[in-house]
Amino acid sequence: MIQQKIREKAKELLSKKTVDLIIGFSEWTLPLRTTPIFIRTPEGAESLTWNSFCENNLATYIHKFSRFKIGIVVKGCDARSITALALEKRFKPGQLFLIGVPCQRMVDRRKVKRAVKGEILQAREEGDLIHVKGDGFEVSLKREDFLYSSCEACTHRTPINTDVLLGDPVEESPLAESHAEAKAFEKMSPEERWRFFEKETSRCIRCYACREVCPMCYCTECFVDSSRPKWMEKSLDPSDLQFYHIVRAYHQTGRCTGCGACERACPMDIRLTYLTQKLNRDVRELYGFETGVDAEIPPPLSTFDPEDQQEFIK
Amino acid sequence: MKLKLDKKDFDNFLQSLTDGYDLYAPVQLAEGVSVFKKIDQPGEVNLTQLLPQKPAKDIFFPQSEVMFRYEKVGNQNRMTSMEEVKKERILFGARPCDIEAISILEKVFVGEEYTDVYFLEKRKKTTIIGLGCNEPLSTCFCSSAGGDPFLRAGSDLFFIDLGEAYFVELLTEKGMAFRKNKFFQEADSRNLTLVKELEEKAFEKVGYSIPVEGIEKRLGLMVESSFWDRVHEKCMGCRICTYLCPTCHCFDIVDEGDPHRGQRVRNWDSCLSALYSLETSGHNPRPTCQERTRQRLMHKFYYFPKNFNRVACVGCGRCILYCPVHFDIRQVILWTSARRRRRFQWEVTR
Amino acid sequence: MDNNWEPKILAFLCNWCSYAGADLAGTSRIQYPPNIRVIRVPCSGRINPLFILKALQSGIDGVLVSGCHPGDCHYISGNYIGRRKSATLKRFLEYLGIEEGRVQFSWVSAAEGGKFSQVVDEVIQDIKKLGPLKRLVKEQF
Repeated sequence: MIQQKIREKAKELLSKKTVDLIIGFSEWTLPLRTTPIFIRTPEGAESLTWNSFCENNLATYIHKFSRFKIGIVVKGCDARSITALALEKRFKPGQLFLIGVPCQRMVDRRKVKRAVKGEILQAREEGDLIHVKGDGFEVSLKREDFLYSSCEACTHRTPINTDVLLGDPVEESPLAESHAEAKAFEKMSPEERWRFFEKETSRCIRCYACREVCPMCYCTECFVDSSRPKWMEKSLDPSDLQFYHIVRAYHQTGRCTGCGACERACPMDIRLTYLTQKLNRDVRELYGFETGVDAEIPPPLSTFDPEDQQEFIK
Repeated sequence: MKLKLDKKDFDNFLQSLTDGYDLYAPVQLAEGVSVFKKIDQPGEVNLTQLLPQKPAKDIFFPQSEVMFRYEKVGNQNRMTSMEEVKKERILFGARPCDIEAISILEKVFVGEEYTDVYFLEKRKKTTIIGLGCNEPLSTCFCSSAGGDPFLRAGSDLFFIDLGEAYFVELLTEKGMAFRKNKFFQEADSRNLTLVKELEEKAFEKVGYSIPVEGIEKRLGLMVESSFWDRVHEKCMGCRICTYLCPTCHCFDIVDEGDPHRGQRVRNWDSCLSALYSLETSGHNPRPTCQERTRQRLMHKFYYFPKNFNRVACVGCGRCILYCPVHFDIRQVILWTSARRRRRFQWEVTR
Repeated sequence: MDNNWEPKILAFLCNWCSYAGADLAGTSRIQYPPNIRVIRVPCSGRINPLFILKALQSGIDGVLVSGCHPGDCHYISGNYIGRRKSATLKRFLEYLGIEEGRVQFSWVSAAEGGKFSQVVDEVIQDIKKLGPLKRLVKEQF
């Protein structure tokens, strides 16, 4: 139903030439996946799809298509990324038309794959079930048991600051459930936390997928590629792998919306959202800031309050 | 020579090799994540994933490799070259696609005039034990790309999983050196029949539907085509496809250290990165993703076959499985086929 | 642990207040242990978190960042910006498991030579208790 509304809206926008290009999701060749699609004619709108596999954050494409007037299909997290990018003046006012879709939370395809034995050849969503089929097996799984952890922690499933909202706003989860990963992580001892972080980053192959899919990572020269000063080497030295992840996460302070695109893109299954969850929690606790909610409030690290907390300073 | 190895002897078999060889095999780093790594215990071998994320090229062309080390001692500059491989190695558990990719890499690294000693040393001192694919994935298209799930070429020994045992074939001189291994027994006719059944089943599953054959001719006519304006759209220039590709071989050489002590390191690089072709003047001949995606596909399916008579793709499907935006190289290949070109125009320029 | 181990600590001091305060400690002949190496910066707000991380990666056992008291910054608000960066970075590093006390912050004015030596003394004692840094350190070839 929402899918039909998305198609109609896209058709309308393209027919009236309100936008040059619509970026949305479409079915493609693999089960449990969708793919970003770029439509320029009203007929093409028929390819648009909406389901629980629309896991990408499409806000990242506004850097690539900055010459066009774009209509983008956005979930809650994606819409907040756009607001955060607006604060950083990454697009011209009026350049974007946001097609907001209240998010039912996305399904973690890796969790689904682990729940069955054998390759999944077909997947079909039906109500709150996911039916998967492979060679010699057919299983129905409860959708709610297979959501991305970043989606389970989400308190902004209804996109804000959009030009249109296709569907009724969703009842948001209580705030207490967000940042659950960070809270669980904090319960470990410093030694355990470092071991966990060390073990996770040891798998890293420096593909930078986490950086490329992130809408907030748009620097023309990333600190990784800087040679004067050279902050780090390009090899697989464990210390450099740790350094890269610490700094990339820290560069998201007050900018990350917790969309989880980084973790979803990683081919080596490295946990990443627990890093930025801590930073998001701190800026909320210390400075009352939440990413992408208010387009008027400046990013926390670019401003100050004379009364900021400073008990840690001698 | 056709032999078999009972699965219950497998660990002991690997253990028996450790005296004379360093063993490399797929190792699981986390659930669903494997790489080829040096193993100390046979128990570390993990074959649950058909294709480890990092392909077997990592064993011959490591992601990060020290080429030489230098040190200033007094007034003397001392350099230590690092290409020597001290102990013979065995690579176990690589699939035919990964092994076929090594022979593609050989065309690049082992030439008539120039030889890459780092690659060649490792290649010369490695015995490859290939493992056939009983259950190819739906993303595998090796047969279309000049290979097949049980291709023996490139392997010194070839194993096929028969359930209770491995079927073992000794193929080359290096492989024949193992004919006296006490864990091998003669394969019987039942084993041979099962091998044939498995091969037929796998061939049928992989099929031959992707028109890789002849692609260099088709692409040769498409260098300036507007086709490339659409193909690149969803690519965001991460490097997953190039790093996980068994045949991709771009690298970057960097120096680490200071005037007193340091090393020269070769790291994998990717033509999809904007910095890859950035020149010192600031000019970039491949300024946008459009040029870079075109370059990658042209290199694989046009430039490389023109120079070396083989497409630089073995149909392993890793790029399809791991691309964050679900770019499917099979679709691109299909679109280049003239019949499909019209459909492509409709599908993509809408 | 090697009982002869002496921690190496990097101190980033803002030019107008903390560096002058350190200088005053020197001219007043106030003694403090020699474990710190000073890097003078124009303002505590200039500190790039990468400096601190690079220091730790190089094997420095502890980092001190010191600036002007709130309201006294030579550049008006640099120390306020630095305060926010310091707070978030400190919490993040401790969250990851870098021991609490490795990275410390202070306000030291140009007149506080005594306070400076006191702060340095405390930092060195804290780092001595923590021992040499093992986490994040890059092994040299």
